[in-house]
Amino acid sequence: MSHHESVVVVGAGLAGMKASLMLAHAGKKVHLVETLPIIGGATIKNEESFPNLECSTCLVAPIQQEVLQSPDIETMTLSAVEKIEGDKGNFTVTVRKAARYVKIADCIGCGMCYEPCPVSVANEWEENLGERKAIYVPCAGSLPNVPAVDKEHCLKLSGKQECNACVEACMFGAVDLDDKDETVNIEAGAVIVATGSGMFDASSLPNLGYGKFPGVYTPFEFERLFASNGPTLGEITIRDTGKVPAKIAIIHCVGRKEQGYCSGVCCMYSFKFAHFLKKKLPEASVYNLHSDICVPDKSYQKFFDGVKGTHTEMLYNSSMEDLKVSSNGAGLKVVYLDEAGAEREIDVDMVILSVAMVPDEGALGLAEALGIERDARGFFKVLDEGIVSVESSREGIFIAGTAEGPKDSQSSVIQAEAAVGQVLAFLESCRPEAAEALAEDLKA
Amino acid sequence: MTEKQQEREFTPKIVGFLCNWCTYAAADLAGSTKLEISPALTVIRVMCSSRVDHNLLLTTFFEGADGILVAGCHPGDCHYGKGNYYARRRYAVLKKVMEGLGLEPERLQLSWVSASEGNRYADVVNAFSEKIKALGPNPINGRSDF
Amino acid sequence: MKAKIGIYVCECGPNIGETIDIPRVLETIPALEGYEDVELVPKSFGLLCSPAGKEYLAKEITDNGFTHLVVAACSPRDHNSTFIGVCKEAGLNPYLYKIINIREHCGWIIHDKEAATDKAIQYIRSGISRVLYQSELFERQLEITPDVLVIGGGIAGMEAALSLASHDRKVYLAEKTGELGGKAARFASLLPRQGRGADVIREKIKAVEENEHIRVHLNTELESSIGFLGNFEVVLAGNGDDEKTDLKVGAIIIATGYRMSDPGSFTGYEYADTDEVYSSLEIERMNGGEGIALRSGAKPASVALIHCVGRQEKGYCSRICCNYMMKIAGYFKKQSGATKVTEFFFDMCLPHKADQEFFDHSVGLGIDFKRVKEIGLSGTSVEFAETGGGKQKMDFDMVVLASAMEPSEDTEALAGLLEIDLDERGFFKEAHQTTDPVATSIDGIFVVGASQGPRGVSDSMLLAQATAGRIRCQLKPGGKIVPEVKVSEIMEAYCTGCRTCLEVCGYGAIYFDDQKGISIVNEAVCRGCGNCFGSCPSGALRTKHFTNKQLYREVTEALK
Ligand SMILES: Cc1cc2nc3c(=O)[nH]c(=O)nc-3n(C[C@H](O)[C@H](O)[C@H](O)COP(=O)(O)OP(=O)(O)OC[C@H]3O[C@@H](n4cnc5c(N)ncnc54)[C@H](O)[C@@H]3O)c2cc1C
Ligand SMILES: Cc1cc2nc3c(=O)[nH]c(=O)nc-3n(C[C@H](O)[C@H](O)[C@H](O)COP(=O)(O)OP(=O)(O)OC[C@H]3O[C@@H](n4cnc5c(N)ncnc54)[C@H](O)[C@@H]3O)c2cc1C
Ligand code: SF4
Ligand code: SF4
Ligand code: SF4
Ligand code: SF4
Repeated sequence: MSHHESVVVVGAGLAGMKASLMLAHAGKKVHLVETLPIIGGATIKNEESFPNLECSTCLVAPIQQEVLQSPDIETMTLSAVEKIEGDKGNFTVTVRKAARYVKIADCIGCGMCYEPCPVSVANEWEENLGERKAIYVPCAGSLPNVPAVDKEHCLKLSGKQECNACVEACMFGAVDLDDKDETVNIEAGAVIVATGSGMFDASSLPNLGYGKFPGVYTPFEFERLFASNGPTLGEITIRDTGKVPAKIAIIHCVGRKEQGYCSGVCCMYSFKFAHFLKKKLPEASVYNLHSDICVPDKSYQKFFDGVKGTHTEMLYNSSMEDLKVSSNGAGLKVVYLDEAGAEREIDVDMVILSVAMVPDEGALGLAEALGIERDARGFFKVLDEGIVSVESSREGIFIAGTAEGPKDSQSSVIQAEAAVGQVLAFLESCRPEAAEALAEDLKA
Repeated sequence: MTEKQQEREFTPKIVGFLCNWCTYAAADLAGSTKLEISPALTVIRVMCSSRVDHNLLLTTFFEGADGILVAGCHPGDCHYGKGNYYARRRYAVLKKVMEGLGLEPERLQLSWVSASEGNRYADVVNAFSEKIKALGPNPINGRSDF
Repeated sequence: MKAKIGIYVCECGPNIGETIDIPRVLETIPALEGYEDVELVPKSFGLLCSPAGKEYLAKEITDNGFTHLVVAACSPRDHNSTFIGVCKEAGLNPYLYKIINIREHCGWIIHDKEAATDKAIQYIRSGISRVLYQSELFERQLEITPDVLVIGGGIAGMEAALSLASHDRKVYLAEKTGELGGKAARFASLLPRQGRGADVIREKIKAVEENEHIRVHLNTELESSIGFLGNFEVVLAGNGDDEKTDLKVGAIIIATGYRMSDPGSFTGYEYADTDEVYSSLEIERMNGGEGIALRSGAKPASVALIHCVGRQEKGYCSRICCNYMMKIAGYFKKQSGATKVTEFFFDMCLPHKADQEFFDHSVGLGIDFKRVKEIGLSGTSVEFAETGGGKQKMDFDMVVLASAMEPSEDTEALAGLLEIDLDERGFFKEAHQTTDPVATSIDGIFVVGASQGPRGVSDSMLLAQATAGRIRCQLKPGGKIVPEVKVSEIMEAYCTGCRTCLEVCGYGAIYFDDQKGISIVNEAVCRGCGNCFGSCPSGALRTKHFTNKQLYREVTEALK
């Protein structure tokens, strides 16, 4: 197959999966590279998605399944791009595939190997709110439904002690502790980068008490706490104490000033959280401490109007710097300045910090590996950024989704679809016939 | 007859029409988590809960089902847009028809179970089979006057 | 020919092998009642989904000459496609096969092995019974035309045309007015982050005019359209003359843009025509022309810019106005640095990563930003209360209103003509707001730009490019489309022509045949959800692969 018939997509979130499926439909061969052992991205952490509060799994699982079953998409999990060589239209992309230690073709996902594994560690995918074994899938319903062995914690692989429990438990001989990392070279005409974003580190603002008080949560921690396939099976209880919160403060715009931009989605997920809380804890008091209300889609204001007053009390917070979360003995105290600049205080059991979306921590490395530029904020740079573009600073490499900047799922999908359009046009232009035709045109 | 014997005597037959996109996925999740679920239920997969029409439901009762569970996506989540909305509308009408036939309307249950709700799926099915067990056998089963 | 059904139970290792008594299952099957005329061949295998299993199954199908196949294994969500592949390879029409999920529905959830086995036998019986009533279905390939019609020649429509036009794909661009460019053609500049700014719009107009693969029809509107993805027949009509153009296109892109809502209709803004109160768009026009001036011709010394006019009444935020109001503030400052510019806003909506910088820059220009919780006009006098403050009043020479963007005037008529849905706000509705945002309820009809919802130039162009991506994937020049096979059909003899089904179909797949007086399903459009089926009072509908007979067999056998 010639170069321009194949495309590498980096990142298997909503944007990367959508792009891959479209390219496959267009008859291209797709290599989908994902660092995690599973695909789905940030969306599968959320039980329900704004604005229609649809079940995210119902939205995304058919897409994940179609990706995994497509004969034209090679899904490479636990993989990362190491380098890229060659020129536009004729790239050689080097991908490092870390050993999974479980053969995907042989494993049927029965889960018999988890129980016998003697190692339990915090499950980072569950934001460390639950535990997993050294051989694990991040959560029930993961796709591909095939475990991976974490070599750092596995007794045998880490050399700590002999163990063969999972190998023995698997009736299918799917566990292969001799599996090796592997490096592959992929010939591709174009690359789409859809690696998503990271989250602002809430602990960098000590006045907010994250990491200090168990009742202070990040957005994804809260998403997992609410999720029925999450570590508490959807029960909203505070870590360590197990207490059901009666009063909850959701604090908007955390990190907006530090990052220098509004993320455009945190207001919405903060309102979604107010809805979640009322749904599960109808008696609870919820407060949204906000500044600007950013509801930039035609349907978002309605969502906001639907929770304001009924699900949450909207409290204007005029200064993030002056907001302080502290302990009041039994729970937490939030002190803030109201609209008139007067100091106010509320007692709560739980605080959710709606933090900014920031560049993914791997973005720098990936930018170097791919030889593409980032903008001043650290997101991948697109040409002519202000007008519209999904082209990176290197010809043949395109950017989609929150890798380019904070945005909601809809905008991530739109960008992915646009990137596919550009990739197809670009590959078309790389064809030798196209070059000849262009030369003809120029002559005429 | 002791209560235990009665239970053994009557194992209800329940037919569950599950939407391919949501509830069928939840049933898979419940399965892979190995939750214990009542054998009373027989699952029939349909592409959308809206495909389950009056005739199919009535036939299922006439053929002897003691209970029917129609389960699909939450309102507003339908893979096909508005299918489950129509399903819900039709179901209100059918409840009236059932009363006319001498069937307790509770024998038909419409539930929304989304794909990540494996545990809820198990709870819904188990609670429904308990309910049907308490209601006893389908009173019109085998009657030929319809 | 006597039916011969292969029934293959997968052990799935211990998952079925140990939770279900497979030997008992295999013994029971041949003795099933009611299948005297059918040959039942039950077998089991270790792992049917493994490469060895697939090879075995394919060989079994060919060697035994099965007419039907039942696989009792795991969830169809896991391996239905695997076994469909095996059937195809072995030459068995895959619609004569059925997978039975005895793992998730028996072995794993019924913890008593005997009970699980009974249940598995019951499911397999149902499956055998159903599969006998299944019929062969065949994929069809339909020829398509790759050409595209774009309605509306604003920035969104132009970008869509430019992204698609090529030597093997023609684009027809129908613009209602006499010129291209839409609203943005009059803008003197765009936002600072938008680089080359308004030049881009003019470059695009030129590029469209020069592109030999784009045919522009000015002063033209859509008159009629019938058909479906790949095969639309449309008629364009000149407004003003009788010129009609018949076209065959594969897809239609709506790019009819927006209009400004009338501020006078919102409480607090009942101003007179003679007042020095202007809409933001009027200021753009003045700025792009003679310069911004009062009716007297004098330049205003003080101006109030009011955000969010109609946001509450309309029920949505227009997304771009906070930004363009800062741009307009800049026009005033550029015209005269001494102009006192005050912006009254409720929330600063800055959703793009570069917007906050623009705001910080605008503060630096000396523009006075006032965050308000209420506001009203009386002439050019503004009464307002800042957040955390009491009522105040300020007088200005001029007031500029950012009133909500609303759907353009033809939106409803166009939606009716094309039979696509509008959302509750009157904008065109997406097929799915999150996962399919540029498509509409009808395959092959797309919506881009501000006609989909309030959007700026960049977002409008991005939607256009996204649509180009969709169309490039769906309609390849010289390619074909393969419609869904498991569709619904209407049995002519039973249809009474009541048209109930037309209303419930969300995809516009059913049309009414006036001559025959019955409804007909267009199989190229139907997606097989079965919604029409449930609605038909005459039982005239059939959903292929989910027919009544098939489902009744499945149910009846289960209840035996
Ligand atoms: C708390 C929260 C709640 C939200 N709720 C909603 C909501 O309800 N509705 C809504 O519309 N939007 C919501 N959003 C926004 C939404 O999550 C994003 O718009 C969307 O997930 C972006 O999709 P993506 O594919 O661009 O990125 P992601 O979903 O983040 O996917 C990126 C993928 O790339 C992988 N990856 C990262 N780096 C690499 C690398 N170097 N190599 C290979 N792979 C890599 C990641 O593991 C991941 O799988 C929410 C956001 C947050 C933070
Ligand atoms: C005051 C103001 C300032 C703005 N400044 C900026 C800015 O600086 N940066 C920015 O990004 N955005 C700005 N915007 C937003 C910008 O105007 C829109 O994003 C953009 O115009 C949308 O383009 P469009 O093609 O979707 O719609 P439009 O520009 O409305 O174009 C629609 C086209 O369709 C035609 N049409 C309508 N109906 C029919 C029909 N039935 N048949 C055929 N043709 C039809 C129209 O004649 C028109 O040519 C501003 C908006 C306003 C109000
Ligand atoms: S590795 Fe083996 S035991 Fe573990 S899930 Fe896969 S098949 Fe089951
Ligand atoms: S070998 Fe490693 S993964 Fe397997 S059971 Fe032992 S510790 Fe767990
Ligand atoms: S979206 Fe809302 S919470 Fe997030 S930064 Fe913007 S204004 Fe603040
Ligand atoms: S963009 Fe700004 S001015 Fe426009 S409605 Fe939204 S918040 Fe109001």
